[in-house]
Amino acid sequence: MLQIAFGVVAAALLFSAFKVVTTRNLVHGVLWLGLTLATTAAAFVLLKATFLAAMQLLLYTGGVLTLMLFGIMLTARVEGVEVPVESDNRGRAALLAVGVFAVFAWTILNTPMPTAPGAAFSAQAIGASFLTDHLLAFEVLSLLLLAAMVGAIVLARTGDHAPPAGHRPGRRVLPARGTKGDPS
Amino acid sequence: MNPWLHGALYGVVLLAVLMTIVAWATWFERKFAGRMQSRMGPTIVGWAGLLQPISDAFKLLQKEDIVPARADKTLFNLAPPLTLFFALAVAAVVPFSPGLLASDMDVGVLYILALSGLTVFPIWTAGWASNNKYALLGGMRAVAQGISYEIPLLMAAAVPIVLAGTMSLGGIVEFQVQHGWLIWWPPGPGLFAFIIFLLAALAEGNRIPFDIPEAESELVSGPSTEYTGIKFGLFYLGEYVHTMISGAVMSALFFGGWDGPFAPGLHWMVFKTLFFFVVLLWMRWSLVRYRPDQLMAICWKYLVPASLVVLLWAAVTVVGGPA
Repeated sequence: MLQIAFGVVAAALLFSAFKVVTTRNLVHGVLWLGLTLATTAAAFVLLKATFLAAMQLLLYTGGVLTLMLFGIMLTARVEGVEVPVESDNRGRAALLAVGVFAVFAWTILNTPMPTAPGAAFSAQAIGASFLTDHLLAFEVLSLLLLAAMVGAIVLARTGDHAPPAGHRPGRRVLPARGTKGDPS
Repeated sequence: MNPWLHGALYGVVLLAVLMTIVAWATWFERKFAGRMQSRMGPTIVGWAGLLQPISDAFKLLQKEDIVPARADKTLFNLAPPLTLFFALAVAAVVPFSPGLLASDMDVGVLYILALSGLTVFPIWTAGWASNNKYALLGGMRAVAQGISYEIPLLMAAAVPIVLAGTMSLGGIVEFQVQHGWLIWWPPGPGLFAFIIFLLAALAEGNRIPFDIPEAESELVSGPSTEYTGIKFGLFYLGEYVHTMISGAVMSALFFGGWDGPFAPGLHWMVFKTLFFFVVLLWMRWSLVRYRPDQLMAICWKYLVPASLVVLLWAAVTVVGGPA
């Protein structure tokens, strides 16, 4: 039963991942990506890594997807429901994908993995190892995120003075700041 | 019992019970709102209008199903059932009494938060696929609101996790059965966390006073503008189920879940859930809608810093306080 369930989830995962790269409609691509990420979470559940699954749903499916939708809505000229994808470097992308796949496959096949699910996946164990064994990596990651955040704020600030390319007044979804009396 | 069979059976029973409760919850809301506004509410169909939900269901099923000509048909049709799906999926980890739950996940609270974060996608999809400016604006508002209020919601839900030392909803309720409800013991963090959780859950569920995605006065009906018949009904149902489940999650996280004297646990859990449902209705029919910028200000300027302070307070309480 578990094997069948895993097979179904894996098939859905592969199919949706395939649709992400082949669909011509950018919004469809993002939603297929959402299905890919959600089925990855389902695979984690079947492998008894529930904490990873919850994080996958919370951060990737919830967070990253939202940001992508924002990206599309704020940059693309939204006319009707079609947001086409134009790409002229499919060859190079395919080459890169095969390369990355080879590296991952080689690494995974050559790394001894614990096969028994257990304490290593629990939230407590992950939290404890973040704050003891991997403290430096954890702090470096925080620094990276801080840098990204500062960068994003700097980029957004320039928008105060000169509207970015493709900006059309009236397309703004939210007021830039909470000015009192803003009629939106 | 076979866990697969147990899951399937539990799902069917839960769905049937929940749908029945939700159907008459709509009747109750209309009566309740009517009384608040010195009206009678439904009175015609059945005694005191009690058969109104059935009549409404048949009415919605009979309506013509309209898909706008230039809409994205697949996504347009997919969005309403998905809304209901995400709302219902949360119910899987809600413990209704000791042992009466589909799955006591060790990360149940995270699972609930993750799914309630996903509820904005069907709403956004509906808005986008409708090919309608009002719907799209509503969808974008829903996403902006959802992603903002997710942060205080997470922080507030982390407080019971920290206090009880477990992420399983069943475990949190067990802790409260032994040590007292988290809303008042240990005194302080639980109460404030509950207030933040309540506000954030209202915003996440797009309920008044935070229902700006479907603000009738400016956006017609937001993402559900183009929907007719039973598809509109599914949105409506999804919203009710979401509110109902929010009430259940609040009672489990802060009000001891099935804990209570004199009556079986299930009765207490249902009573608390319905109580919070009524509180949410009460707020809905008493308050007015905020503007989007006010909404963002409430979240980022007040709720997020407050939730950080409360979380720190809870951590300090656990390390060196009375608990």
